[in-house]
Amino acid sequence: MLRFIFSLLVFSLCSSHLLAGGGWPQPKENGYFKLYQWWVVADQHFTDVGLIDPNTTNGIFNTSLYAEYGFTDRFTGVVNFPFFSRAYFNNTISGTTGDLLVPGEAINSIGDTDIGFKYGLTQNKPLALSATLTLGLPLGNNEGGTQGNLQTGDGEFNQMLQIDAGRGFQLGKLPAYANAYVGFNNRSQGYSDELRWGLEAGVNLFNKKLWAIGRIIAIESLLNGDRSVGENSTSIFANNTEFISFTPELAWNFNEKWGVAASVGTAFSGRIIFANPSYSVGVFFNLR
Amino acid sequence: MKFSQIIFGALLTLLVYSCIGDDIIFDTVAENVRITSRVDSLAVGDDFQFEAIFVNNIGIEEPMTIAWSSSDEAILAIDQNGLASGISKGDVMVTATVDLATKTITDTWPLAVADNTVISDPESRTGQLRTTSSYLLEGDFELKPDGNNLTLVLSDDYRASSNLPGLYVYLTNNPNSVNGAYEIGMVTEFSGTHSYTIPGDEVGLNQYSHLLYFCKPFGVKVGDGEFDN
Repeated sequence: MLRFIFSLLVFSLCSSHLLAGGGWPQPKENGYFKLYQWWVVADQHFTDVGLIDPNTTNGIFNTSLYAEYGFTDRFTGVVNFPFFSRAYFNNTISGTTGDLLVPGEAINSIGDTDIGFKYGLTQNKPLALSATLTLGLPLGNNEGGTQGNLQTGDGEFNQMLQIDAGRGFQLGKLPAYANAYVGFNNRSQGYSDELRWGLEAGVNLFNKKLWAIGRIIAIESLLNGDRSVGENSTSIFANNTEFISFTPELAWNFNEKWGVAASVGTAFSGRIIFANPSYSVGVFFNLR
Repeated sequence: MKFSQIIFGALLTLLVYSCIGDDIIFDTVAENVRITSRVDSLAVGDDFQFEAIFVNNIGIEEPMTIAWSSSDEAILAIDQNGLASGISKGDVMVTATVDLATKTITDTWPLAVADNTVISDPESRTGQLRTTSSYLLEGDFELKPDGNNLTLVLSDDYRASSNLPGLYVYLTNNPNSVNGAYEIGMVTEFSGTHSYTIPGDEVGLNQYSHLLYFCKPFGVKVGDGEFDN
């Protein structure tokens, strides 16, 4: 039970927004850019009943560029581009003979890429509302390796509509913010559609040098896809994955433009998804 | 240390971390010898060719010298190639023996030498599935001859999780591994009775000890069922 409670989860690849996004579009000609590495190495997964079973160790490493740019004060373009994605699984070795039973394999490619269009529904109001349309482009490899079970993408084009509501406030004397979103992800190629929601709060510490952020993300599958889809897919690209995750994050600003950020993805629960921690480290730049 | 050196060090660490490693699986099973051709009764004066296989400690069939013996040479004579001859009426036990470095393993088969020769022709072998994971898997199964082929029949009470990607079914002598197992095929039925046809020239009725359900993408065993007979 402790293992279950404290087991950690991979959260979605497109959830790595740092100090950006939420209900606030970028001001015109302002931007936020981040070069980051996200990875998970998993030797266990959540099963369809939410328990944890072991699996052959799988790893996926994405080196990505995340960018937001304000074309107008209301309209912001968003890109999350994993320009190098590596997926592998370990060798399986007989504990009896030491023989190699199943050789490990790896693939390298670009990964599935998100392109988003955010529109500010409010301006200069205490409550910042925005709507975002995100297109998930299947640029990754969904059938890599000799068995077709290595993936750097899911092979389907998805469209997600998301509504964000954010508000800045003072926590004592400290600047802080909170944001919530809800979204519907329409998936193709027989994959089940998804409901997504998230809560996020951050507080600025050390004279605006450090943002400490907590984020809860949830994906709920509508289980309306084809049963035969994703027969060779492992998490994080399997069909009908679900989770509720908690992701603490720290972002340190060297100055007004440059900073570094790091986060770890943890979980309360999950189904058909890896159950090990995911990590992200990156360097970001604020265009002002 | 410069910032660029920290970044370089971090990338180098990730590069090493992203290399293929080794997963060790516990796949030891008890070696066994199994008599695969059987006769219930042998007529006096008739011959019968016994056959047996040896399965090693990882469940792989392996050529091995098998010694044959009869519990009563006055009733049944048998040579070291397993060729038995009925001598006189009575009950007798045939034993197949393999000498290993540290132990001796045997399998026995009882038969009668009588008026007629009756070849053992079991209509089927049966077993019951059980889950060894948290995925649903249950139900009875039967492996039986069907002309020149074999048919594996899953019964009405069969149920398996349909949420697991890439579920395959195997015949194996090692329920902990698909190494050396015979892959029957991908599972496409998740409840109720259904069957698989297995080429008789590739698989013998008594060749394997277990049915194994294995998830290929996750590389993990889901469940198994041992043949009862």
